[in-house]
Amino acid sequence: MVASVFIINIQSQLQPDTGEETTALLRVLIYKIDNTSFGTDTPTLPQWTGPPHSIVQVQALLYASLASSFLSAFLAMLGKQWLNQYASTDMRGTAIERSQNRQRKLDGIIAWYFNYVMELLPLIMQAALLLLGCALSRYLWGVNITVASVVIGITSFGIFLYLFIITAGTISGSCPYQTPGSHALHYLWPQAKKILHSTTLSVASALGDGFRGSETRKVIRKNVSYHEPWQYRREIVPFFRDMIFELPRALAIDVYHLGKVMTWSLHTFAVGAYHLSSTTAISLVSYLHGSPSTLERGVDWQLAVLDLRCISWMLQTSLDKTIHLATFKHLAAMTELANFDPTLAKDCFKAFVSCIDIKYHEVVVIRGLEELAAVSAMCIFSTISHLLVMDPTSSVLEEVHQDYLKVFPAQANFRDNYFYYTMNALQGLYFQSWTRQGFHWNGYKPSLHEHAIAAQNFVKISWFKYQGIQGKVPCFVLRFALHSLSLDPLPSTPVIANCLLIIAIDLGCDVSDIIFGNR
Amino acid sequence: MADAEEHHLIQSKHKAINALLPYAVLQEFGGKTGILDAFLHVARASKMPKFEWHHAREYASTMFSKASLHTIILVSPHIYWGLLTERRDLVQQWAAAISAVPYTEEVAQSVVGTLLQIAYYSQLLPHIPTDIWSWLNKRPSLPPTCEGRYYGTRLPVAKAVLELKDIEILKSYFLLVWSEWDHLKDSVFDESCASIHEHFNEPWGGWHREELIQHLDHILTQLDQGLEHLQQHNPNLEEYHFQRMKDQYRKLKDTLLEVVTGVSCLIIILHCILTQWTCAGSHTRFMCALPPPCP
Repeated sequence: MVASVFIINIQSQLQPDTGEETTALLRVLIYKIDNTSFGTDTPTLPQWTGPPHSIVQVQALLYASLASSFLSAFLAMLGKQWLNQYASTDMRGTAIERSQNRQRKLDGIIAWYFNYVMELLPLIMQAALLLLGCALSRYLWGVNITVASVVIGITSFGIFLYLFIITAGTISGSCPYQTPGSHALHYLWPQAKKILHSTTLSVASALGDGFRGSETRKVIRKNVSYHEPWQYRREIVPFFRDMIFELPRALAIDVYHLGKVMTWSLHTFAVGAYHLSSTTAISLVSYLHGSPSTLERGVDWQLAVLDLRCISWMLQTSLDKTIHLATFKHLAAMTELANFDPTLAKDCFKAFVSCIDIKYHEVVVIRGLEELAAVSAMCIFSTISHLLVMDPTSSVLEEVHQDYLKVFPAQANFRDNYFYYTMNALQGLYFQSWTRQGFHWNGYKPSLHEHAIAAQNFVKISWFKYQGIQGKVPCFVLRFALHSLSLDPLPSTPVIANCLLIIAIDLGCDVSDIIFGNR
Repeated sequence: MADAEEHHLIQSKHKAINALLPYAVLQEFGGKTGILDAFLHVARASKMPKFEWHHAREYASTMFSKASLHTIILVSPHIYWGLLTERRDLVQQWAAAISAVPYTEEVAQSVVGTLLQIAYYSQLLPHIPTDIWSWLNKRPSLPPTCEGRYYGTRLPVAKAVLELKDIEILKSYFLLVWSEWDHLKDSVFDESCASIHEHFNEPWGGWHREELIQHLDHILTQLDQGLEHLQQHNPNLEEYHFQRMKDQYRKLKDTLLEVVTGVSCLIIILHCILTQWTCAGSHTRFMCALPPPCP
């Protein structure tokens, strides 16, 4: 609105001034009647040569400011529409289906950088404000410098303040004055710093080498020593003569070398910048479109990936134990843990720890959270064992291990708990051993589901270990198979099948098709 | 070479194979014998003194409760009885199974192999029915690596056999445990020498001595072929044991020959006495029944 007022006010200066033209005509008429009125001056009709250059600049800036304001208003309206659509419950079905739908929308929002688009709104508004400030300063500079100085001062202060805020936000992640600019710099700065550092180092070393081997330096030193003491009258003329003869050539050589160094440094910088931009672009494209393998794996796999993201989101955002329980149950029922965020294992562990209390090495479940503890323990085991197979170098494995050691003392006893067997299995995974107690359930028999999950994950671990340098299945996994196959009555068919697979893997059979081909 | 590779392969995979045993027994209970047959085949081919994976024995009672009598007998040698000394019921089950299963060479091998193992443990020994010892008389050919024979060369088993006071069983025991595959413990060796003097010195026990000497001759012939030859069948044999076996079996043969000499001398003395007392006709008949004079 402010920009509009200024535009209207200055708009007249873009057209010929009719008042001035009328005055000129009157002067011509008066001159025709009495040619002595203006002395020796002969009044002429003024020719319109276009608006003043400064006014054009000012108006351009003001219009740019106005257009930016309109654009931001337009985007704000669209954004409101988009958010309404996101928040709307446009699907009926089970809680899982609705969660999947919501997760799909959320994934879309992340994949299409919705938040960045929304953050453009204030940026455009800020740009409009900056343009207005610049236009005003420029305009007032032509009218009155004192008045203009005030506007320029305040605008400059605003610009410096904004730059300071961006810098502070970039340097410190905990700084509350975060802006999109600081986010971008925060991401790009470490990589840019590396490029700058390497470029600076190479330039500095090249310049240092160049200076030490400089032809000019050599020529000067040579002449100084040759004509010593050169400042005396007898020597000064030959000194300068030699210098005049030799210096241009030396300078040319140095400039040539310096040029080479600069070209090489620029090349290094350009390569670094290209690398940075290409990696950013690749990550952007892969994020937007997904990797090619994602598309090849089919709908079920994509649905599993969606479910796992949904589960991660729920565990991270909800504090409701009922929701946690439902989420863990769904996770425990999933047979395909494809491409999940490794932090899910940490979330499972945190949820499990929140359900228990440790008293004198005895692990006690908080009343009412027994089921949640048991299911979350199963989920820890599943996710950890899956990570061990699929991404054994993941830092999350070590982090969970460290958390485990911090939470549970060495003599921690899980006996008389529903997750007794699962936690023993987890210990087996981490410590590559199985305590004797691990096999003697002492009255506690694992649920069919718990047993099935353990068997399923042990197959993958067996395969992974066998393929590794060991060339054999860990002893504790074979003990699990032995124990499971000796149960009377026998466990469920999938458990038997998985135990036989474990044995087959150790015997060197190629069962990869069965394990990974869903046979 | 291929044999040695196969041996090492089976040795490295014996845990996995053993992990199948309880399941194999349960499958056999359901009428499917494939896995169990495969297990027994591999166990026999393993040439390992202890093919059993010690964790598998924890499930022995499950196996015995579900296994057929025939299976109980065949599986028993592959169970480590040392940790089942409290399980007298298992011994009783095993003994009951023996009486109900028809004789075959395979069954006899398993029974004798298990019997010698069980007899080693003082807690289990009293629960072995006496009549089962007569299975030693069937003298099955025990494989080069046999856990039963290994335990049979220990003193408790030797004493248990001696306490039976049955010369036929004692001879069969010696014929089974004296072999080119196992050396005797020093105590058992001494006991064997003593028992030869004590139990095989009767004048009418000539064919017992003859059988034992022939067996020892066979063992010494095998030992003369060298360690490498024997190691083809039993890779676990070592030079030290090989030398001990040579000494022990040579001494045992010497002991037996000593006894034979002593008995012959005694018979000659008897013969002289009898010659003076009896008539020519009866003398001739008596001489025909005498063993040949000592060299």
